[in-house]
Amino acid sequence: MTVTVASRSLDGAKPTSEGGTELLLWVLVWSELVVFGALLGAFLLLGMLDPPALTTLHRALDLNLAGIATAVLMTSGFFAACAAYGRNPRRNLIAAALGGFVFCGLKIAAFAHELPALGAMEGRLAELYPLIVGFHFAHVLFVAGLLLLVAWRPAPSHVATVATVWHVIDLVWLLILPVIYLG
Amino acid sequence: MHSTRDLPLPVALVGLLVATGLSLFAAPHLPAEFRGLAIAGLSLTKAVLVVLGFMRLQRESRALAGALIAYATLVCLLAGGRIALAGLS
Repeated sequence: MTVTVASRSLDGAKPTSEGGTELLLWVLVWSELVVFGALLGAFLLLGMLDPPALTTLHRALDLNLAGIATAVLMTSGFFAACAAYGRNPRRNLIAAALGGFVFCGLKIAAFAHELPALGAMEGRLAELYPLIVGFHFAHVLFVAGLLLLVAWRPAPSHVATVATVWHVIDLVWLLILPVIYLG
Repeated sequence: MHSTRDLPLPVALVGLLVATGLSLFAAPHLPAEFRGLAIAGLSLTKAVLVVLGFMRLQRESRALAGALIAYATLVCLLAGGRIALAGLS
């Protein structure tokens, strides 16, 4: 990312397609953050309005598995960062993607015993949980695929872009954790 | 392009893993008021480590880095506040 940043700041007066792509990237990132922010805000509000439902939900969630999944996703972010700073991009992007797929596997394992318990619950919280976590899961799966695609031909600007999106997905998960799991 | 002021990537990763472990420990063990504060603080620390440690966004745009951290701060404070209020009620 820093490589493209340095070149962009030198010829900042000329609009380039790369600058346009970067703008589009941040529009996409903030759109995602607004959507996740709205969902997490709704979850917080419903949790305050209906504490017994939140307690029941927490009993159904697997905190240990969520913790392991967090560690895996953070480690994957580390590999993406290494790739973005030019340290063997292909190998590090593949490692980051594998971390993403392991995260997805852990979430599927968690869903397998969480969702039946949530199915027995009534109320919006039990519906919001799979919506928020499932939406994040879909992002991880899709961008992990993109990491592999970029690893095939790792151009510096593509590596920087996909690593930025990956870090934002990490960031969103770090915000999902206190709102949903750690309450 | 490496600046001596940048947080080394392995240090950021270790910080993230330690903060995650502490959050998981705090959730079932601390009383609700302290738990809210601890979880909000640790979650914000993790968000800052991702933005400044992994993304190093402050090099590109301090405003963008600040906006991301402000967004994370808002969500973490709301989450911590809800946890603390749940303990008071």
